[in-house]
Amino acid sequence: MTTYYTRQSLWSLFLICAFPLHLWTIVFGLIDMSWTTVRTNLWDAVGVLSYALIFTFLESLIVWLAATLLGFLLPRHWDAERRAMMMGMLVLIAAIWAMAGSLYFLLGKPFPAFVLNFLARSGHPLKLLLAGSGALVLFTFAVPLYLSLRSKRFCKKVQEGLKNLALLSSVYIALDAVGLFIVIIRNL
Amino acid sequence: MKQSLSRREFLKLATVLPLGLLLPRTLTKSLPPDQGATRPNVIIIVFDALSAHNLSLYGYQRETMPNLSRLAERALIYHNHFAGGNFTTPATASLLTGVYPWTHRAFRFYGKVQEKLAQKSLFHAFEGYHRFAYSHNPLVVTLLEQFSSAIEQLIPQSRLMLTNDSLIQTLFKNDEDIATVGWTRTIKREDEFSYSLFLSHIYKRLKQKKVEKLQPEFPRGVPHYSDNYFLLEDGIDWLRDNLPLLPQPFCGYFHFYPPHAPYNTHREFYGRFEDDGWQPPEKPIDLFANRTAERTLDMRTQYDEFLLYVDREFGRLFAALETSGLLDNTWLIVTSDHGEMFERGIRGHLTPVLYQPVIHIPLLIFEPGRTSRLDIRTPTSAIDLLPTLLYLTGQPAASWTEGHILPPFADPAERNLYAVQARYSEPLRPLSEATLMLVQGDHKLVRFFGYKELGSSRERIELYNLRRDPEELDNLYPKEKELSRLLLAELQTAQEKADAPYRL
Repeated sequence: MTTYYTRQSLWSLFLICAFPLHLWTIVFGLIDMSWTTVRTNLWDAVGVLSYALIFTFLESLIVWLAATLLGFLLPRHWDAERRAMMMGMLVLIAAIWAMAGSLYFLLGKPFPAFVLNFLARSGHPLKLLLAGSGALVLFTFAVPLYLSLRSKRFCKKVQEGLKNLALLSSVYIALDAVGLFIVIIRNL
Repeated sequence: MKQSLSRREFLKLATVLPLGLLLPRTLTKSLPPDQGATRPNVIIIVFDALSAHNLSLYGYQRETMPNLSRLAERALIYHNHFAGGNFTTPATASLLTGVYPWTHRAFRFYGKVQEKLAQKSLFHAFEGYHRFAYSHNPLVVTLLEQFSSAIEQLIPQSRLMLTNDSLIQTLFKNDEDIATVGWTRTIKREDEFSYSLFLSHIYKRLKQKKVEKLQPEFPRGVPHYSDNYFLLEDGIDWLRDNLPLLPQPFCGYFHFYPPHAPYNTHREFYGRFEDDGWQPPEKPIDLFANRTAERTLDMRTQYDEFLLYVDREFGRLFAALETSGLLDNTWLIVTSDHGEMFERGIRGHLTPVLYQPVIHIPLLIFEPGRTSRLDIRTPTSAIDLLPTLLYLTGQPAASWTEGHILPPFADPAERNLYAVQARYSEPLRPLSEATLMLVQGDHKLVRFFGYKELGSSRERIELYNLRRDPEELDNLYPKEKELSRLLLAELQTAQEKADAPYRL
């Protein structure tokens, strides 16, 4: 086990996995708070956010577990830090796409007219759309992956960036602890 | 609040204004019959949007509910029973409180009754009973939550849904409502959005798989409300399995979503009426039309086929209750909150109109020990159910209700019946945009006012003789001037009285 991951690298990976999930939950949880307050009261609104944080923490654990397991597929000679960095980066990219998907529906903005026209003219709009989106997603995974394999400088920069995110993420984990405390109080 | 609320529901709920004052009413006070030591149970079964107009029992051409027709041979059948409103919130609130919508003021989506009436419901009146309630329809859940202090067993809506989150409710049972809201916002994807970025997709996929398995049984799709899928069978089974185990006497309210749209019937009934060649009477397209004539015809057929499924399940429930012996000491009520319409270019019940298909609802009372049919043709209202049930079970009369004890348990009194559609009016202000109905004897007067569709006059009035013209094709308003004037004056007086507390 220690060949693949160290305790420190696992913790870093967990914090990186938790970052986008918590950020999304907290932003939209806070936006929703006023609605909950109007419907019930502030204490209930805080309760809803607390539950959301607990569920997000559990989701972070699941994503972390999946990322850790997938990390075993990376070359054996990679050190633990590099492995965690690589998996953390992939989780972040996947999270950004998930956020983009949600925002697309949330904002209700259609594709630009020229894209729609192009799709309509193609004769196979759905196939083309799926292929185009698939290629774009694949590209966004492939480029950083390639760069991290080729460039030490890129790796270093990514590692530094992820370290900063991990620091921010530890604040979110502290918020989870507060959320857990609130959930316990509410259930006494 | 014991129910998961989606973001969209929160948005709707946020529009609910603070509640105001209520004008107290006095009512019929009758001495209850002597019930002896054992008080009978009461169970009210409501099928949402079940129009009397489409029931074979009430003369509809298609045999839509053969079981109900068969069982009606042992029931009291009310032929001129009217809903209090045209959609679930006002109509159910009237049924549960015994007052008209312009009194309880719950006439908007997710509306609640006035604070004073929150302690004056059917459930409050049945103190000492084991009171339980369930609804597939979240509009009813909002009302039930308002009355929850008098309900021992308020079954969460999700309990009888295909994908329920009972684990959350079990884990956080002391904070079930807020935990469910938190879970809903995090995991359930509403409009392709949730707090969760990954798990929500997996959850949705699992849910879809569960529904897909049932797809072959329901060619038009599995019955659902929003993205909450359910089987009518599960609700019927719950009643079959749990009613005999409940503490007695009990008073239960069970509100099934079918046959409300979408009309996703079981495959056993799919296509049953498609090529029967029957055509409903032709009627002029209404000002408030929302569909083409062809479309309403298709939807009517789908609705009628959905009724067959509802009927099969009701037949199953009745047989189970009878076998268990419960019906020997239980008043079983079968009714609806409002009807559904498929004519004049209108589909559904959410337009301003109050034509008979929308407002004429079935009412059947199965009396313990009754073996013969009794047809009652006196006009009656949903608000009459509460005082009647109190009378039948030997409870003290409810001082607040505007309803009367139904015949044959009391002599039918000469009176006006009303229905109110005021979805766009402010609850705590005088009605500004509404449709009001008055029924007096055979006559039905309907007044529309405040709708921009009405043009400069901002008013439309219709008068029908329901006995001579049950299809409402001959508007007597321009012909019967004196009668129209009298009825209109009575309607306006009643409205002014109801609005009085809200005038500045």
